Amino acid sequence: MSKVPESESAKLIQVCSVRVAEELYGIPLGDILEIVGGARPQAVPLAPDFIAGLVHYRGDVLTTVNLRRVLGMPPAEMVQDLLVLEDADGPFGLAVDSVREVLTVSSADFEAKPSTVRKRKALFAGAFKLRDSLMVMLETAQLQPMRLAQLPEDV
Amino acid sequence: MDLAGAGFLKSRAIFPDNNGERRWARCVAHGEERRMDELIREFVIESQEGLDRMERCLTDLESRPDDAELLAEIFRTVHTIKGATGFLGFKGLETLAHSGENLLGMLRDGTIAADAHVITVLLDLLDGLRSILKRIEEEGGESCDGKELQDTELIRRLTALQTASTEAGAGSEREKCAAPLAKPESGRSQNESGANKADGHGTLPDDARAQGRGHGAEIAGVAATPPQSSAAESTLRVDVKLLNRLMNLVGELVLTRNQVLQATAADQGMTMLSRRLDMVTADLREGVMRARMQPVSNIFSKVPRMVRDLSHTLGRSVRLEMEGQETELDKSLLEAIKDPLTHAVRNALDHGIEAPAARVAQGKPEEGVLRLRAAQEGSHVVVEISDDGSGIAVESVRARAVERGLVAPERAAEMSKRELLQLIFLPGFSTARQVTNVSGRGVGMDVVRTNVEKIGGKVELDSQPGRGTTVRMRIPLTLAIIPALIVRSLGQSFALPQSALSELVHVSGEEAKRAIEWMEDAPVYRLRGHLLPLVILDRLLGAAAGDVGGREHFIAVLDADGRKYGLVVDGLADPEEIVVKPLSPILKSVGLYSGATVLGSAELALILDPGAMATMAGITVSERDNPGNRSDTDGEEASEFEYLVVSVGGRQAAVPLKEVLRIEQVPAARMEYVDRRPVLNFGGRLLRVEDPGGRLRSAASDASVLVVVCSDGARHAGIVVDQVLDVAKGSELMEAGSESAIPGLRLLCERVTSVFDLNLPSGRDATRCEEGFTQPAAEEQDGTNEPTMATSWRDAG
Repeated sequence: MSKVPESESAKLIQVCSVRVAEELYGIPLGDILEIVGGARPQAVPLAPDFIAGLVHYRGDVLTTVNLRRVLGMPPAEMVQDLLVLEDADGPFGLAVDSVREVLTVSSADFEAKPSTVRKRKALFAGAFKLRDSLMVMLETAQLQPMRLAQLPEDV
Repeated sequence: MDLAGAGFLKSRAIFPDNNGERRWARCVAHGEERRMDELIREFVIESQEGLDRMERCLTDLESRPDDAELLAEIFRTVHTIKGATGFLGFKGLETLAHSGENLLGMLRDGTIAADAHVITVLLDLLDGLRSILKRIEEEGGESCDGKELQDTELIRRLTALQTASTEAGAGSEREKCAAPLAKPESGRSQNESGANKADGHGTLPDDARAQGRGHGAEIAGVAATPPQSSAAESTLRVDVKLLNRLMNLVGELVLTRNQVLQATAADQGMTMLSRRLDMVTADLREGVMRARMQPVSNIFSKVPRMVRDLSHTLGRSVRLEMEGQETELDKSLLEAIKDPLTHAVRNALDHGIEAPAARVAQGKPEEGVLRLRAAQEGSHVVVEISDDGSGIAVESVRARAVERGLVAPERAAEMSKRELLQLIFLPGFSTARQVTNVSGRGVGMDVVRTNVEKIGGKVELDSQPGRGTTVRMRIPLTLAIIPALIVRSLGQSFALPQSALSELVHVSGEEAKRAIEWMEDAPVYRLRGHLLPLVILDRLLGAAAGDVGGREHFIAVLDADGRKYGLVVDGLADPEEIVVKPLSPILKSVGLYSGATVLGSAELALILDPGAMATMAGITVSERDNPGNRSDTDGEEASEFEYLVVSVGGRQAAVPLKEVLRIEQVPAARMEYVDRRPVLNFGGRLLRVEDPGGRLRSAASDASVLVVVCSDGARHAGIVVDQVLDVAKGSELMEAGSESAIPGLRLLCERVTSVFDLNLPSGRDATRCEEGFTQPAAEEQDGTNEPTMATSWRDAG
């Protein structure tokens, strides 16, 4: 993960923290185009499980990934928040339970994922050790819908 | 001018002068470095355009070898390329352009004549220049691997022509030296020589930039004397990506406008404001769409060269006629019909137009005619490629289709001429006796149809044995916005492109059990006596197999590449013009959707792909629904049209079905009046409304009326009717005694029915409208005194 270097001299990094079920995840702020509250994606029949649907965003139709499904959790009942992320293939949406806050964290608190993380390990970069919990950093590029389709389940 | 440390080129504008030549006007900037490759890219685009022009001129030159204008134009193109290469340091390109320029200089001065041989060599020069440009574009430099030899050979031929055809060698020598200096841009010439000297190792940009700096003063000099013509400065090159983005934003604006209009409908104070917003949005949308339009001549211009080359190879004598080149089409659509056009022209020359001897033997003029025509007809552009060749022998099509196993022999025997002609579009079909370089591999017409249908167009084929063949492509004006029917299933909306929709059937709740019948697990519907396979949309989309009976349904009868089926949906919403948004690859891979759109209600809807649904449901081209059957609306003979039978003012009347665009339920309150004549704001456009039954006068303001929207070529009109009765085929009525057909009357549903004549005059003069809209002989036929168009117009006005 290039944006969170495990460098000798600690750097300050801005991370957007999101909640999914009881877990806290982090996404580098630089990868986020916009945060949309309370979006209701339009379902796409026959689309893969992890696709939440389509969202209308600034004249474009965004394919939205359901982070719950990606992480193997049951779909949420409530209205979710939406992050608009961008990678080389263009913008896409990521539905999370709720967007918490933008944290400024020090790279000194970052640790790469331990080798014991086996399930969906490509999705995670590592974690920041916050005072009372861990914030697991997500690999934005891996959340891209086309990538997810190729992602093996448990390797 | 101080140029040290500055990029020598800041920006470049194109100034076409009076002669149409594009000059490179260079402006010098301070403090900013312009990337070299960007400069090269622009040079390549510019030069390619120049070469396209040159190609056109060269083919014209063949028929008018003495035309000085043409020669001057060609000379300028080559000269401009050569001039620019000096800056950029493309040595090979420069050498080639230089020898071409010398020859052209002599042509221009009349030292040698432009005969066929010279033109062939010049066309080779053109190809040579093109291929170097292509290499520059792809690889960033003119790296030569063996290509150089070819160019050397070409240069040798160019030089040979110069020396061979001049008696006075010395004179031509002087000519040669004078040619590059003949133009006033001395700065450029010096730059060339500078580049020549410095260029030892190919195309190092730094090298070229150094050259540019060294001669910056002269460059600035050129820029300082702007071309005289200022009227021509009004063109600008814009990135297609930017246009797409604008189109997107306009789509967004249209949507926001719709919501604003809905929200402010009740507020009197906002009415004026929202009207204004409405108008500006409509204008803006039209403007952006227009910006994406390009004239058909962009692709037509490739044809003369192709015809020239092909007729040489095939030994044909062909005259090319082109019409309607100024017709405009969306850029992406223009790209999409490039291949079909090429194939159709190849076919016309190879299979259509006969060899001169054969033509003379048949009493035709030796020279064949290939005619390209483009014209806008309503919301479509029609591109026709017609030849006066041998036409298509229907019998050999029949034989070949059977031989290739495309159709069963029994089936082939009973196929009509029109059906047989459609077979030509099947993959693997060719009537050519042998496969030639040019065509006959059986892919041509298949490609034509596939490409044209991909962009929502249609291809028709018309052929008269011995008289010629016409391929007619109907292309929608724009790709980005299409008319669609909004259907509902699974509690959400889907858009169904209207191009594939042939009719809608309503099945009420109590009928459903009986109407939808089952063969094992396949639902079918009896449509006018034939079994129509059904696809139940919610099941196709993965819903659990519920009971179809008991609920109200609609069957959208679709026709996807000849596969006819009924799509069973839960509900219908109003048709809408939808802005097509592309889907991400992951959703495209589902294979059912061709895009998505935002509806007026701000709801998102997926656009269903009729062809993909047919494939997924396993629907194939059945015997009956063979491609031939698709065009049975405009049947074998002209008298066998299908009609929409309506009742107007209590009487039965009819509209030719192919002229019907839509049938809409319109609130009477929405009807507006211009000069006391009813008009309708129809999708942002003004639709003239005819009210032959006088229904508008009697309708309460909160009632709604049924309007049949018809098109007659480019003109649309609405007709207010009482109700729609049926669709029926009708034959002409013969007058007893004279046995001549009575115009305007048909026998439909066993009743004498008057047919609306939509051939309306465009003038606003009421009397002329009356003439155009009378129902001839209707009164005499059955004696009733029903209000005709004429009377209703008088009443309304």
